Amino acid sequence: MVEVLAFESIAQAAAALRDRTVYLGGGTLVMRAVNFGDSSIERIVLANDPSVKAIRTEGNRVVLGSGATMADVLASKETAFLASVARGIGGPAVRSMATVGGNLFAQHPYGDFAAAILALDAKLSLTDGSEIDMGSFLARRGSLRSLVARIQFERPASGEFHFRKMSRVKPKGVSVISIAALIPNSAGRVSNARIAYCGMGETPVRASAAEAALEGRTLDPQGIAAAVSAASAGLAPPDDAIASSWYRKEVAPVLLRRLLLGEAD
Amino acid sequence: MNTVEFRKNLFSDERPENLSEIGRPTVRQDILGHVTGRSAFYDDHQFDGLLHMRCVRSPHHHARIRSVDFSNAERMDGVRRIVGPNDVPKNLNTLLSLINFGKEDEPLLSGEKTAYRGEPVLAVIADTERQARVAASSVRVEWEPMPHVLDVEEALAPGAPTVNETYPDNTFEYHERYDHQKLRFGDVDKGFSEADRIVEGRYRMSPIEQAPIETCGAIAAPDTGDRFVCYTSTQALFFSLATTAKLLDTASSRLHFIGGTVGGGFGGKVDSIVEPMAVLGAMLSGRPVKFMWDREEEMQVGAPRGAELWIIKDGVAADGRILARRFTGYFDAGAYTRLSSYAVVKSTGHLPGPYTIPNVASNVYCVFTNRTPATAMRGFGITGVDYAIECQMDRVAEAVGMDPVELRILNAYRDGDMKAHRRVAKNTALIECCQVAAEKAGWRISPDSTRQSSLEGGGGRRAEIPETATDQIGRIGERRRSRIPVEPLVGSGPRGRIPAGTAGPAVEAAPPQRPDMAMDWEREKSAADFVREPVKRPKTATQPQSRLAAAPEPLPPAQEKAEAPYIPKAPFNRGVRKPGVSRFLSGTRRR
Repeated sequence: MVEVLAFESIAQAAAALRDRTVYLGGGTLVMRAVNFGDSSIERIVLANDPSVKAIRTEGNRVVLGSGATMADVLASKETAFLASVARGIGGPAVRSMATVGGNLFAQHPYGDFAAAILALDAKLSLTDGSEIDMGSFLARRGSLRSLVARIQFERPASGEFHFRKMSRVKPKGVSVISIAALIPNSAGRVSNARIAYCGMGETPVRASAAEAALEGRTLDPQGIAAAVSAASAGLAPPDDAIASSWYRKEVAPVLLRRLLLGEAD
Repeated sequence: MNTVEFRKNLFSDERPENLSEIGRPTVRQDILGHVTGRSAFYDDHQFDGLLHMRCVRSPHHHARIRSVDFSNAERMDGVRRIVGPNDVPKNLNTLLSLINFGKEDEPLLSGEKTAYRGEPVLAVIADTERQARVAASSVRVEWEPMPHVLDVEEALAPGAPTVNETYPDNTFEYHERYDHQKLRFGDVDKGFSEADRIVEGRYRMSPIEQAPIETCGAIAAPDTGDRFVCYTSTQALFFSLATTAKLLDTASSRLHFIGGTVGGGFGGKVDSIVEPMAVLGAMLSGRPVKFMWDREEEMQVGAPRGAELWIIKDGVAADGRILARRFTGYFDAGAYTRLSSYAVVKSTGHLPGPYTIPNVASNVYCVFTNRTPATAMRGFGITGVDYAIECQMDRVAEAVGMDPVELRILNAYRDGDMKAHRRVAKNTALIECCQVAAEKAGWRISPDSTRQSSLEGGGGRRAEIPETATDQIGRIGERRRSRIPVEPLVGSGPRGRIPAGTAGPAVEAAPPQRPDMAMDWEREKSAADFVREPVKRPKTATQPQSRLAAAPEPLPPAQEKAEAPYIPKAPFNRGVRKPGVSRFLSGTRRR
């Protein structure tokens, strides 16, 4: 039998985490595993905590509760720039259940939203009171004994955030790859770009080579050429039923070019 | 928007004018249930005290079983019964044994070795699915992995590992003589020597999983009268019933199978694996038992459309006429025959495609490899080779510099032509099909091609059966001893010639057993009523073919004494709550 423990706060739920126990956010991944016979799950903990469901702004910072669903992100005007990311995840039924926090832990090939969070250089507030940046979180997420309560990041200036997803089934297919990118622009030249992929590694990863190649360049076919040719550099995307590693490496530059030039898919 | 356009002028004399279903919306008989969510699938039937069955499966492509230790599983909570190979009354079967085709080659549960990844060796019956799953994963099997073969050509090589002990040469045996199905029509070598161009192609198709939304499964429960009821996802109810009766060595009258709405089948639900397992579970546990594949099992052990490999060699005249076509075909059956042996025969009857080619030869192999056994899928036996043939036609068109549509019209079969399997072609429509397709696609074809008709130009010399070259290469076991050519009419060995016009023995249908069983053609409405040349139909009144009528057997002597009234040997003690109703049956989930 699977035991289900419901708590009032996410901190209490975090305290109940131990071996063979999972936290249930929206259930779109956990319940699928349970229903498909994953017998490693013996205990499910969940929290009916309104504080982690909220989406708000503090000055120029956006604070996303980890329990906010994709539908909440779509409905909130604070997160209008993330609508294309949220809309790309599942169908309406999944979006009304799947949470932002759950997506941070989603295994490949899922995690489009986590890639966006990585591109936005977000800080995650954990239930143990600590704060961690998204890059270190992704490196440690398998062994983490805390839960993510909130995600904070600076609101990008208008037109700075971009997202593209390529899937074989439309409109609600799993990503072959997706790209989220923050492309700050000063005097027509790119500076400190952050480009993150979903589908190009076991977790969302940054395209460091492409980011470096974009520094100080203009967003035109010549300016982005070096970044596009470095799109897959240093990355080892997995082979799976959705696409081969080779195919993902071939698709990445195409999708990155479309994203940077604003071309149609 | 009506996108259907009728060309009723074509073949108007071959069908009645009252055929009007195409182009009109028709309500599927079961659609109301589907759109309102009320269709009952097998898994919607609820039973009191339902037990769940899960299999222990092989992680290897090919492995011997050294030992199986289920002592931990037996002691686990909720575990009711461990089912092993010895619990299956008749643990060897081949699906087509029901029509007397092939040898028994597949166990329901394997005891000595497994020949594909996911082959079941043991089943656990427990109170909950989770308990069954955990218990199954605790079973320790000591495996001795063996060399495996996953490719049809490698499987035919001498020294390849034997996949299936029933067929030690890795090939199904045809006509108790050859390791492949032969087709010989004319002399392909003569055709090749007369040809201006030789065009060769090699075409490979991967397995395709039918991927139904509802995975394969069945629920069986003890019923009154020492019978068993079985709700199943099968596409072939009576086939599954007969297979279950055979494997469990029980009278089919003890089995009450209930099918119905199938949540997607596409050919993948005819293999009758889940039904015998569920009924066996119910027999051994005395309780209702559900055996249902999960999605991973559906993908890994659910039989797909098999892989195929076709090698085609054409001899083509400069004007585009194909003078000879030679096929070497392989159906990858996976580890067991299932239905692949039949796919080979069916595809052979289809060769050389819808074209009239005077010289045709084929060798088609049903090959055993250590892949998941293959089974039916839409267009079974035909889809793969048709893909190969049409790719080859494009290649031929390119080689002779001809328009691909016109090449097809030039070589298309016409009414009255002789097919390679020695039946006269009728209702041929490829030419008209090409013409309309070209027109719709805005593809220009020559006026000459536009004028062609499948009703004209056929028959005559095209209806003749040519003198045919034969060989006897590829006898059963021969390929195991030495490497011999796989292609038709290649290699050394005795050759023969069959005189022109030899049609082969006529196959006649068995006569009806009694005169009143004969079909009354006057009352039958079928396409046969509308063929241009009326078929000769047996006149039942003048055919006293019935064995009964011809030689009446004396009736058995009437029994002299009436039997004593039935008295049960033991008092009836199966706990029925309502007379006549299974004590386990408690309804369906959706009303």
